[in-house]
Amino acid sequence: MGGKVSCTLGEVKNRADFVLYWGGNPAECHPRHFTKYALMPKGRFVPRGRKDRTMVLVDIRETKSVKAADIFLQIRPGKDFEALSILRALVKGQHVDEKQVAETGLTLEQLTDLVDRMKRAKFGVMFFGMGLSMTRGKHMNSASILTLAAELNAYTKFVAMPMRGHGNVTGADVVMRWTTGYPFGVNFSRGYPRYNPGEFSTVDLLVRGDVDAALILGADPGATMPQPAIDHLARIPTVVLDPKVTHTSRLARVHITTAVTGISAPGTGYRMDEIPLPLRPALRSPYPTDEDVVRRIHQAVAEKPDWMAAGGQTTTTQI
Amino acid sequence: MSAIRLTLKEQPGVPLETEVLSPDALADLAHDEIRSLPVQLGKRRRRLDDFFEIEGERSDEIEVHGDLSLLKWIGRGMSRGRLTIHGNVGMHLGAYMTGGSIEVHGDAGDWVGAEMGDGLISVHGNAGGQIGAAYRGSPTGMRGGTIVIDGSTGLEVGMRMKKGTIVIGDTAKDFAGLQMKGGNIVLLAGAELRTGAWMIRGTIISLKPIAMLPTFRLARSYNPEFLRLYARFLSGLGITLPCAADEGRYDLYSGDVSVPGKGEIFVWQPAEAAASR
Amino acid sequence: MLRIVGGQVYDPAHGIDGVVQDVCIQDGRIVENVDAAPTIDASGMIVFPGGVDVHTHVAGGSINFARAMTPEDHRRTTAFIRSQTNRAGVGGMTPTTFATGYLYAGMGWTTVNEAAVPILSAKHTHEELRDIPIVDKSCCVLLANNEILLDLLEAGEMERAREVVAWQIWASKAYGVKAVNPGGVAAWKYGKNAEQLSEPVDGYHKVTPAKIVAGLAQIVDDLGLPHPLHLHCNNLGVPGNLTTTLETMQNLDGRRAHMAHLQYHAYGGDDWSTMRSEAPQLADYMNAHRNFTTDAGAVLFGDTVTITADGPWQHLLYKLTGRKWGNLDVENETGCGIVPYTYRPTNLVNAVQWAVGLELLLLIDDPWRVFLTTDHPNGACFWRYPEIIQLLMCRDFRRDCMAGQSDKALSRIHLPDIDREYTLYEIATITSAGPARALGLPRKGHLGVGADADVVIYDQDDDVARMFGHPRYVIKGGEIVIEDGDIRATPEGRGLLVRPPHDEQIEAFLRPLFEDYYTMSFDNYSVEMERIQQPEICDCIDTE
Repeated sequence: MGGKVSCTLGEVKNRADFVLYWGGNPAECHPRHFTKYALMPKGRFVPRGRKDRTMVLVDIRETKSVKAADIFLQIRPGKDFEALSILRALVKGQHVDEKQVAETGLTLEQLTDLVDRMKRAKFGVMFFGMGLSMTRGKHMNSASILTLAAELNAYTKFVAMPMRGHGNVTGADVVMRWTTGYPFGVNFSRGYPRYNPGEFSTVDLLVRGDVDAALILGADPGATMPQPAIDHLARIPTVVLDPKVTHTSRLARVHITTAVTGISAPGTGYRMDEIPLPLRPALRSPYPTDEDVVRRIHQAVAEKPDWMAAGGQTTTTQI
Repeated sequence: MSAIRLTLKEQPGVPLETEVLSPDALADLAHDEIRSLPVQLGKRRRRLDDFFEIEGERSDEIEVHGDLSLLKWIGRGMSRGRLTIHGNVGMHLGAYMTGGSIEVHGDAGDWVGAEMGDGLISVHGNAGGQIGAAYRGSPTGMRGGTIVIDGSTGLEVGMRMKKGTIVIGDTAKDFAGLQMKGGNIVLLAGAELRTGAWMIRGTIISLKPIAMLPTFRLARSYNPEFLRLYARFLSGLGITLPCAADEGRYDLYSGDVSVPGKGEIFVWQPAEAAASR
Repeated sequence: MLRIVGGQVYDPAHGIDGVVQDVCIQDGRIVENVDAAPTIDASGMIVFPGGVDVHTHVAGGSINFARAMTPEDHRRTTAFIRSQTNRAGVGGMTPTTFATGYLYAGMGWTTVNEAAVPILSAKHTHEELRDIPIVDKSCCVLLANNEILLDLLEAGEMERAREVVAWQIWASKAYGVKAVNPGGVAAWKYGKNAEQLSEPVDGYHKVTPAKIVAGLAQIVDDLGLPHPLHLHCNNLGVPGNLTTTLETMQNLDGRRAHMAHLQYHAYGGDDWSTMRSEAPQLADYMNAHRNFTTDAGAVLFGDTVTITADGPWQHLLYKLTGRKWGNLDVENETGCGIVPYTYRPTNLVNAVQWAVGLELLLLIDDPWRVFLTTDHPNGACFWRYPEIIQLLMCRDFRRDCMAGQSDKALSRIHLPDIDREYTLYEIATITSAGPARALGLPRKGHLGVGADADVVIYDQDDDVARMFGHPRYVIKGGEIVIEDGDIRATPEGRGLLVRPPHDEQIEAFLRPLFEDYYTMSFDNYSVEMERIQQPEICDCIDTE
């Protein structure tokens, strides 16, 4: 059933002789990725750095990252899932018809060559961006590349990981998992955590109008979410904690200015490979930290009558 | 024993979870007991009669009237009886059910009949995604029973299903039969993209041409014997499957070779189309 | 203050075997006597020291990865509903952190040792440990595949290696040292393994698994760590691995070691179809060599998820089962693999595994050196310990469990021939007194004056599993935390650490290596003391 086969970025630095980016433009979106982890550094087992690595870029158009690539495969938009399916079949020696490959915008020769290079690598890594994970097919596109990496381990060492960005999204995912068992899209309405992406994920709740209040922390959905979701945020009482004025804070009923985590508030950030990094504030802030504010809100809520005791679910059997 | 009749009197402002609307939960209860059954409105517990006018008692035949689009989990895990809904209904209708029947005169949400074991669900309108599917992370979706959706459906119909039948009257969105392990999906009006992706076993029958993944191979073109038998089963549900040689033939595609799997997708070629190939 | 009156006390550390006597508590410790204290009438009840888990996986990157991979299990398990005393969560194969504390305490366990911590992500482990309430916590840092150490062993620089280990223990705020598949996880970074003890590890010329094990055990003894080297041998789970296990133990040549989850290392046969139990041979060796302690790593039938730093084994298991596979290699240090698994009584291999765990517990004759674990969640979830206690205490129950097994399975195991039944005194030893002593925690696992007041009181019950699954009272640090199945209080637990002395100059050696090999700043590597909840630095010992 596939899985997720990954590593910390230092393994890439020290070992990866084959690096593939799929649906991302690291040169512009993750500018330090090439130099710090994946391409340029000399690693323990790749002592010549860039010279010891082959870089393949798969994308729908030529971006600035193409210059850094040894091989650029321009795929037809929306055909990632199909191309990855073909690669999985080829890896296992299954026959795929030349004609059937055509729809991907690539040739059988190109894909066969890619599979050969992958199998010849000593340590291969595939990074994938939102060009893969947020286009038609979404989580199944991600699952495809993760499964391809898992299956390549029958031949050589291979890993894959998403290029996540923006703030401490990995940290939120990690903490949600240890407190609730689930990474995101968690519902507490029955007193215990439940999970169902599509039902309980924020964007879906907002688009359907399933929630009647919102508390927003470390995010600016007003800038990134689809319009129906933004409209709903404007309709309901929305409270935003943010150091600065954002699209969301402008539409919110309440905006509480907080200290900037990492600059004037301490904490822990999780890197995209789930390695925790301490955040040590260099400055003081006149504003409270997010943690202070949430604690005070929690305290105030705790003084209200306990809605759970007053008639929440009592059975520990889950629905 | 006459039916218990419930009529929605107040639209909930946020989703209302009503797993108690099931023959198993109501069949042995007196009228007052039914009225006081708990339902979950957001984070608060309320009574069933806060939302419904209720008539009748002690019956495993239930009729529900009203726009139930925000009501979730109706018929959850039911094992017997009959549930009829006049109006639209929300997510998880008949999830985990093991018997009995549900009929919806309206549209249904996502996860209709998810992980069901047996029974019959028919929806006369459209339905959402993940019909008869496995919940996230579960190895197996529907294990038996029948789901008939007259209208169109969303993504991932029959995801990881193992047994049973799903019939979709209008177009199904992407990934119908995703990771299917067994059972049958009948697409009367075809599907969008990636039908049968990651299929291991099982059968998908489409009466309209569909876009095939590059990892499916055309194996042969014929009128398989088992489809005649299957057509007889479907005719019991009021569904006609063409299978006479003079009407046309089925193209059989096998895959998904990316797994590699032994799934089968039959695509109907009416006689004139088959002749022109 | 509290006085427990009239209970039958089992305190193996003091040779007390079911004597009716009072237990007095003041300021979180056991005391000689208390005046005018509230009392618990424990007449007809059984009093044990709180349970101690010597080997479990409850916090950190690996278990948290497993949580993400198993939403289907969270849905079907017992939910913890938020209340004024406890937080929401789920139980199951990989309980959430808060639920982990409630479940351990709910069963009478008050100290747990998280057995596998990479230094690089130790901050994460400690963040989770903080969120496990009630129980006291220690952890072991993974060092047997640490490439800086392997390089030092390759160069024969034992002195410097010892300084580095001391620094690493403190940097990770660990309590002990763990070795997992020595050399094999490092080799896995290029898709290989280390199957022969005396063959050089992939990428090295001199370093062999045998040298890593002996070197680390020596360093742990030299540093005087209270807990010996915590060792997960090479070739875990593989038929015929008894040879490797015995070789590893012989190779230790009298040095101390705690042999982790020995069940997974006691197999004969050449392949899966011929696999059989070699528990008697391993038990004999254990009985004759007092430098070892071990824990069972027992298996119970049912669903679980396997989690280990042993990456190559998990890849094999993924290929065998075709189920989900998670893998995370940690730069220069270790790896981790995750595969959900179902142990089935009808599966020959699983039937042998089930028997081996029990056989080891029954055939190793000194209960002070073999402890109850399931290598949670690998063999079974920790909250199923009461089922194992029942299997150990009731021969007839064991026989009933074996009734359905095939002749083929029965011919591969020895359990049908074993008549031993554990006494309550012995159960108190393998669940509390023994593991506390093996961990080197002088205030745990007993009820003598000065001990931490971690006490469990059970209603006497012929149904052993029910009795151990539902203590009447659980007292942690003198506070009643569980009463009749209800969570009464959820105090914070303590973080148990050691601080072996080391030469501060070692940082000057490590820093440049670190800058070359790692992708994090050296100054961000160590776990800061503020991250540890109620830290308690335990003394190193003289191991001579």
